[in-house]
Amino acid sequence: MFTPPAVSKQEEIDAAIENVVCALGPDVVRIRYEIAEDWSRQWAIFFRIVLTDDAARRRLREVAPKVVWGLAQELDFPGLGVYPYHNFRSVSEQAMLQEPAWA
Amino acid sequence: MGLADELLEDAHGLAEKGIADNRQSLMRRAISTAYYAMFHLFVEDFIEHWEFEDQRARLGRMFNHAEMRTGYKTKEKNNPTPLENELIDVITGFAQLQNDRQRADYDLGWGLVETDVRDSMRLAENVFVKWRSIRDEHIARHHLLSMFGASR
Repeated sequence: MFTPPAVSKQEEIDAAIENVVCALGPDVVRIRYEIAEDWSRQWAIFFRIVLTDDAARRRLREVAPKVVWGLAQELDFPGLGVYPYHNFRSVSEQAMLQEPAWA
Repeated sequence: MGLADELLEDAHGLAEKGIADNRQSLMRRAISTAYYAMFHLFVEDFIEHWEFEDQRARLGRMFNHAEMRTGYKTKEKNNPTPLENELIDVITGFAQLQNDRQRADYDLGWGLVETDVRDSMRLAENVFVKWRSIRDEHIARHHLLSMFGASR
C-alpha cells in the first residue's frame, strides 16, 4: 500500500509547525494535524488550527491566510505527497466541543 | 446578477442565520452553497466565451468536480510571481471549500462551529475577488481550461 513521504517525515512537519506557531503567536495557540486520504482518495494533511478567541472572531480574514501561507513556506507539500487542508477553531469553541483531535 | 453571485449572497444569508440560531443544518447549507457559488463562478466564466449560446448549459454540465481541483506549477519553484500567488490563492481556496463542502454534506460527525462557517465565507469571497482580478490573464485562462479537464 502506498503511503506518502509525509508519514515518515513527521519530525520535519512538527518542526515546521512549531516555527509557524512561534511566528504567529499569540494568535495561533496550537496546530494539530492528521495525514489521511481526502474525499477524492488523494493523500492529504489536515491541519487543525486553534486560534485565540479574538483572532477567530475579529481577525480571521487577517490571521487565517498568514497561517496557510506560513505552513506553505515551511513545508513542501508536493514533496511530502500530500495536499494541505486547513480548518480553524477558537479556544472557546474547542473548550465547548472538547474534541481530542484538536486538543 | 449571475447564478454564482446569487448563490454567494444566499450562502451569506444562510451563514448569518445558521450562526445566529446555532443551527447545524443552516451552517452546513451555507458551506455547501458557498462551494456551489464558486463552482458556478468558474463554469459561468468558461461558458460565456462559447460562441453558441444554446450550447452553453450543455458545456457547463461537462465540468467534473474532482477534475476541477487541479494544481498549478509556478515557473520558478520557490519564487512565484505576484500573479501566480493570486492564482495559487484561488486554487487553494477552491480545494479547501470543495473538501469542506463534502464534509458539510456527508460527514455527520463534523460538529460545525461559527469559525468553520465564517472561514468558508471568507474563502469563497476571496476566490471571487481574486479570480475576477486575474481572470483575463493568460495563466488564469489556461488554468480554467485545466479545470475543465483539458490537459496541458
